[in-house]
Amino acid sequence: MPSPTIVASPGLSSFLKSLKSTPVEASIEHLISLLKRRQIRNSRPCAVATAQLLLRVVSAFRWTDVSRLIERIQLVGQRLQAAQPRELSIGNIVRRILGLVREEAEEDRDADASALSEPGTDSQPGTPRISGVRPPLSSSISTLSPLRHGAIEPLDPTVAEPDTAKFVADSAQRPPLLTSHTSYAASATAPMATSMFSLLSHPETPSSTATPSGTQSPSGRPTSATQAVFASLTQKDLRPEVIGGIEEIIDELDQVDEQIAGYALDHIHSNEIILTHTSSMTVQKFLLTAARKRKFTVVHAEAYPNDHEATHATVTGKMVNENQDELSSEAFQKPLTAAGITVILIPDSAVFALMSRVNKVILGTHAVLANGGLVAAAGTRAIAKAAKTHKTPVVVVSGVYKLSPVYPFDFESLIEFGDVSKVFSYEDGDLVEKVDVENPLFDYVPAELVDLYITNLGGHAPSYLYRIVADHYRVEDINI
Amino acid sequence: MADTNPQNPTAGAELSPAPAKDQKSPKADTKQAQPKPNGTEVTATGPNGEKLSGAELKKRAKAEKAARREREKADRQGPGGGVPHSGGQDKAGNQKPGKPWQKVEVQQHKDDSVAGSKGHHKRTTSTAAADHQKNLALRGKGAQGGAQAAAKPPKDANQVSLFGHLYGQSRRTTLAGVGKDVHPAVLALGLQMSNYVICGSNARCIATLLALKRVIESYTTPPGHSLSRHLTSHHLSPQIDYLVSCRPMSVSMGNAIRWLKLEISKVDPDTPENEAKEDLCDSIDNFIRERITVADQVIATSAGGKIQNGDVVLTYAKSSIVQQTLIEAHKRGVQFRVIVIDSKPLFEGKHLARALATAGLEVQYSLMHAVSHAIKDATKVFLGAHAMMSNGRLYSRVGTAIVAMTANEFDVPVIVCCESVKFTEKVALDSIVSNEVAPPDELISPLPLTHTATTTTTTTATATPDQTGAATAGEAQGVKGSPLSTWRETDNLLLLNIMYDVTPAEYIKMVITEYGSLPPSSVPVVHRLSTNS
Repeated sequence: MPSPTIVASPGLSSFLKSLKSTPVEASIEHLISLLKRRQIRNSRPCAVATAQLLLRVVSAFRWTDVSRLIERIQLVGQRLQAAQPRELSIGNIVRRILGLVREEAEEDRDADASALSEPGTDSQPGTPRISGVRPPLSSSISTLSPLRHGAIEPLDPTVAEPDTAKFVADSAQRPPLLTSHTSYAASATAPMATSMFSLLSHPETPSSTATPSGTQSPSGRPTSATQAVFASLTQKDLRPEVIGGIEEIIDELDQVDEQIAGYALDHIHSNEIILTHTSSMTVQKFLLTAARKRKFTVVHAEAYPNDHEATHATVTGKMVNENQDELSSEAFQKPLTAAGITVILIPDSAVFALMSRVNKVILGTHAVLANGGLVAAAGTRAIAKAAKTHKTPVVVVSGVYKLSPVYPFDFESLIEFGDVSKVFSYEDGDLVEKVDVENPLFDYVPAELVDLYITNLGGHAPSYLYRIVADHYRVEDINI
Repeated sequence: MADTNPQNPTAGAELSPAPAKDQKSPKADTKQAQPKPNGTEVTATGPNGEKLSGAELKKRAKAEKAARREREKADRQGPGGGVPHSGGQDKAGNQKPGKPWQKVEVQQHKDDSVAGSKGHHKRTTSTAAADHQKNLALRGKGAQGGAQAAAKPPKDANQVSLFGHLYGQSRRTTLAGVGKDVHPAVLALGLQMSNYVICGSNARCIATLLALKRVIESYTTPPGHSLSRHLTSHHLSPQIDYLVSCRPMSVSMGNAIRWLKLEISKVDPDTPENEAKEDLCDSIDNFIRERITVADQVIATSAGGKIQNGDVVLTYAKSSIVQQTLIEAHKRGVQFRVIVIDSKPLFEGKHLARALATAGLEVQYSLMHAVSHAIKDATKVFLGAHAMMSNGRLYSRVGTAIVAMTANEFDVPVIVCCESVKFTEKVALDSIVSNEVAPPDELISPLPLTHTATTTTTTTATATPDQTGAATAGEAQGVKGSPLSTWRETDNLLLLNIMYDVTPAEYIKMVITEYGSLPPSSVPVVHRLSTNS
């Protein structure tokens, strides 16, 4: 009886399946309802669903202006966020996609600017191809700026004629232009990488656009017409860029655990006793990777009453996969015990008793906040504190997608409270009226209880996380 | 049995000689009767198709038999002659099919007759062969150690090596094999303790003393012995051994029994027996009254006075003295709220929450995972104790240390309520050197109360009674029973269920005893005071 219901049960997989065939608006509504009903929960499923939905939104949306697209994504993001404000990964993904669009738009503006400064319209059709070929670089604004500086600025006031001549020659043979551009971009990587350069280039942008277009554009074309042409061209240009960017994010979500696991051997030595808590796929993969080379012991606290079943399943390797959302490769995860690792399952209450013999605590998390604190399964705080008391290092493994720019001014608002019946069963129904039962799902763990974060980018001190936040999210997107 | 094993190779391929040799000295005439069961055994192993040499075969048979005999021995000491018989059959039924089936069966068949004949009462069915086997079995008793050693390795595989020193013999859960001189009251108490029906340091202490009182009441000094010499060593120690085999003694029980032994030794040999027994019973009653009942009242009054209007008192698991304190304060009309934190697998806090709610207190109930949330509201933490160590550390239900640590972190004072009978001169630094390892299966199958709520009535109906809440919940989800149900078969997977932990003294702000309120550093002083008085 249960298996057919599970197949039909709404969740991430059913949502993803329906995504292709359903109109966008219906998909948004669908995801919102799934989030509200907690049928999609936990960071990764939420992140995947959000990214896929936004991919669909972006590809289906007809926009004439980048700002319209941004508005649209913001709107969808706000609705998703409002549906489940405690799943911070939704907001994280929305912010990253917004940042992506903004970046592309800026870059495009720069490209326009440079195109404008390069007199002649013929270069424009080349633009999409250039951007298409360009290797995906994180800061794409700076990609073209050296070009402008290197090529145009010196020539700008005086040597317009040779430039035009060169351009005419170039336009005659389009493919060489393309290759020259790309090769230029490649050769210019060194100056591009330094942020100093883009720092300088930014203020230049308007002046360089203004000067040539206004006064001495050799071709002397009316600007407004050009702009209109640009606008129509830009949207065409941006779409594949943005979609490609979102697909990259989706790929990242896919590979994040493997990337994190790659650091495992740097952190686990032989014969360690490692304590972990609840069932986290990231932690499991991390430990499994280490288990290939090293022998150690894992003490696994079971996180009763919310996650103990998942923990039991993880420990025994009988992945029940209660939420079909897990990707299939994860469902067939081998347990640590099969890798020859001794796993000791303990109730949460025994953590303090064992902590004096534990070498390292490795924790998964629900979300990481900008101050280095984390929102993790309930009970984590006590474990982290016990580790601190025993001077045992606490390592948190988490994908960057869980890293949120939210600063926790009000910790309590981040804590979700769950099903009380997990604590107090129906057999105790007589007490339900008299006794107040609480079942928090998450704990806020302050940054000072964590010694190290390992993300897919490497290991970081909690104090460094703000830097990673700054790298991944744009200030204007912090409030979606 | 062990001494017969070396003889096996010399005995050759024929199976019968070894057991025969075993009983050679007691009864030579029964030797001829012996081959009969063994003959069937040989034919039974034949069809099994195992290509084993006779000696090997015999060795294995011996090992199995030895193991069975050990259980048989346990059965033999059971109350009736018939009980062991059926017990033996049960064992056969439970035998794992991984072993050669038929051999087991046949052997069982043989052993059943052993069991039957081994009862305290000679049964009419005892043939010469059975008679002989009884002697054999009795001889085998000396070799139990060897049999145990043979049975050990698989058990060790499921032990956490860090706690290897704490795995004694597994806890007794049945009456099978209990010595005949164990008093029925003690028998019942042992089972109740083993099943946590009587649980908690005080309850166990009182119940033990009451049971021992009844033992003393029913005791008659054998002629030629004096009560003070005979009672302790010959009559009380089997009772105590039995209790310990049900569950390791609590510190309070240890203290009480030590006191009782001292009392008995102080009995003047000239005192008439009845009088001496009456005196002893009186002093037991006095002990319970003074050291526990009245002490509890004193502590409850004193600790209750610490609770003020608007307080939020957090407590962990269940302590009778904390319960009394809270109810006492409530009766005084103090307005306060109680947060009960509880944990797997015993869920003792649920009983406390129930009792307090029934008494009309405002109660909040959460599990261990919520402690960091609950502590934010709390203004005081009251804890019970299993024991207070001489170095000021608190030895109490596992999880107490986390609660105390969290309270300390949030600057909430931790107050321990503890009778001086729970003080011990022992010291502890961590929770690993001394602890009690409870059967790990309790973690998989928590008490029926704890059925997770995902269990719907329909699934419960389909679930077999022994399935746990987790199992039925899992069933609701689909494939599994509890994935842990087969943990013993999973290599490298261990379950650890320890009962106690040690809370560092620095987390404890105050210990309230019947001698007054003191810092944890004063525990050894009070301990000396209370034992010398």
